[in-house]
Amino acid sequence: MEFRDNKAIYLQIAEYVCEHILLGKWQADQKIPSVREMAVALEVNPNTVMRTYELLQNKNIINNKRGIGFFIADDAIANVKAYRKGQFMDDELPSVFRNIYLLGIGFDELQTRYNTFVKETFNA
Amino acid sequence: MIKINNLNFGYSKNRPLFSDMSMQLSFGHIYGLLGKNGAGKSSLLKNLAGLVYAQSGQLDVLGFDPAKRQPALLQQICFIPEEFYLPAVKVDAYVKANAAFYPNFDHNYFASLLAEFDIPVGQKLINMSYGQKKKVIISFGLATQAKLVIMDEPTNGLDIPSKAQFRKIMASVLTDERCIIISTHQVRDLDNLIDTVIMLDENKVALKASVDEITEKLCFKRVKEIDETVIYAEPSLAGYNAVVPNYHQEDSRLDIELLFNAVLAEKNKLKPIFN
Amino acid sequence: MNNTFNLQRFGLLLKRQWLEFGKIFLITLLVVLGVFIAFYGYNLLPLGNNLGYNVLNFREPLFMVFGFLFISIIASTYFAHLGQKSRAVIDLMIPASIFEKFLAGVCFTGILASASFIILFYLTDLAFVSYVKGHLHDVGAATDSATYFFAKNNPNQFKPLYLAPLFITSVFLLGSVYFNRFHYIKTAISVMVFSGIWTYIIVKATKALLSGKVPIHENANNGKETAELWVFIGLSVLTLIIWSITYVRLKEKEV
Repeated sequence: MEFRDNKAIYLQIAEYVCEHILLGKWQADQKIPSVREMAVALEVNPNTVMRTYELLQNKNIINNKRGIGFFIADDAIANVKAYRKGQFMDDELPSVFRNIYLLGIGFDELQTRYNTFVKETFNA
Repeated sequence: MIKINNLNFGYSKNRPLFSDMSMQLSFGHIYGLLGKNGAGKSSLLKNLAGLVYAQSGQLDVLGFDPAKRQPALLQQICFIPEEFYLPAVKVDAYVKANAAFYPNFDHNYFASLLAEFDIPVGQKLINMSYGQKKKVIISFGLATQAKLVIMDEPTNGLDIPSKAQFRKIMASVLTDERCIIISTHQVRDLDNLIDTVIMLDENKVALKASVDEITEKLCFKRVKEIDETVIYAEPSLAGYNAVVPNYHQEDSRLDIELLFNAVLAEKNKLKPIFN
Repeated sequence: MNNTFNLQRFGLLLKRQWLEFGKIFLITLLVVLGVFIAFYGYNLLPLGNNLGYNVLNFREPLFMVFGFLFISIIASTYFAHLGQKSRAVIDLMIPASIFEKFLAGVCFTGILASASFIILFYLTDLAFVSYVKGHLHDVGAATDSATYFFAKNNPNQFKPLYLAPLFITSVFLLGSVYFNRFHYIKTAISVMVFSGIWTYIIVKATKALLSGKVPIHENANNGKETAELWVFIGLSVLTLIIWSITYVRLKEKEV
């Protein structure tokens, strides 16, 4: 996994886990890699992964079964979406808005762009 | 657990390297030791291993005084120096002669580390490249199951795939009963592995803080213009890479190089933030 | 855990040191063997009737000179690598006590080196002399056997000689840990300067104390036994002192 420059590593790992859940690679009740396995796979400090897992536990995305490991929570998808939505609204949208404003892009234009993007990318 | 108390050290009396240095290190962390050339990174590591003696001050390493060089402590230390010499024997002969000194030496683990590093066991150490030898001594050191792992520029001489292997291995060896200290100039090789930064400058510990603490107090980001809140900035393609106080609880990624330069340049502005 | 001495750990250390030191040791021993063969061959071969009664006179100087050279060279290489940063780190970090590391040094230099030299000399001598004896008759008492050599040069005649190998190796072992490079030459020069100064002091002191005086009690054996005892005690004390200094230097060795 390639880390981006500007965002804290533990958050990038959280995104990575969320991505797996949203794409259905990891399903509810499924065991996810242990802290150590994840740290080795991503070449990061296990304490960083621990911080990610604590965060995801707080968001009810994963839960910790003592002595067994971490598992995807039952309503993980909904919680991921809520978590990601909050993040997107707070962190990413302002800079998108800034560009929309600066470049004078109309909402109609955005709408059409958005529709084609969804169609091409997700075949929806 | 390592306690350093009022350590005074220097290679000559009138040119001290550390004056009244104090610091505590605990298990379960990978400490990244940073500093300019000659700041004393290697010397600090050697002090911890009992390879050099301080003029004054107390050193407590896992409950021992390292200066006594007692076997009970030595068998719990894995020290990987930057320059080292290995005898002209095969890997297995080397292990046979040295492993028995370490009661917890794990032969299977050693074999698996060598396999991961792609080192043939039957090869003579003398015919190996510097990087290969380094991998052998890293593997050997980690297989001793030492509680204190000290590495001086471990990624020096490792090729690109080996650096990734090294990172994976280091990520896997950190446990709650282990303390790992790595000195490095190649921060990019290790920046996601380090969880606590120790910076030496001007005979002192200029900064010792966990990555979490640093990113809680400071924000590392790209800015278009420098205003008065910016502590330190370096020009980049799109504006500046800046260190600013983290007023808005932003979760930025620590840029160790930028932090390093900031500490060197703006010690006075950073000091109040970390105290 | 005993942090000063543990027999099992000491055994491990001897084995470990042998792995590296053994090579230098055996190569040097091989050179010595070559020198022996060359000397004996040059002096005795080809076997003719020219074998005079003094043809084996080279044995004493050979034994003394090369014996000294061998044990001093071995002793001055033993700790020599501690002067190199890259080698010292690994050695000092080996989990054995300083005392064990020191004792291993004494075992390899003082005991092993001296013993192996004597055995090698004895065997070479035995081989050549038996060869000569097998081919010639009536070659005189000098070629009786190797045992004869050691009987003739009996250290019992001057007992302190037994300590000589230990003393010599202790001095050069100290040199090997004291200096960081050019161990042999620096040790040799130090010994010369040191003994020069002592000789000068003793000669001056004797002159000052004894000038104009005449001995009145003369023992029958010229005080040989007393002298022997004092030299023996002096040499042992000196050896022990040098060993202690070596131990302390090893303890204080920094990288």
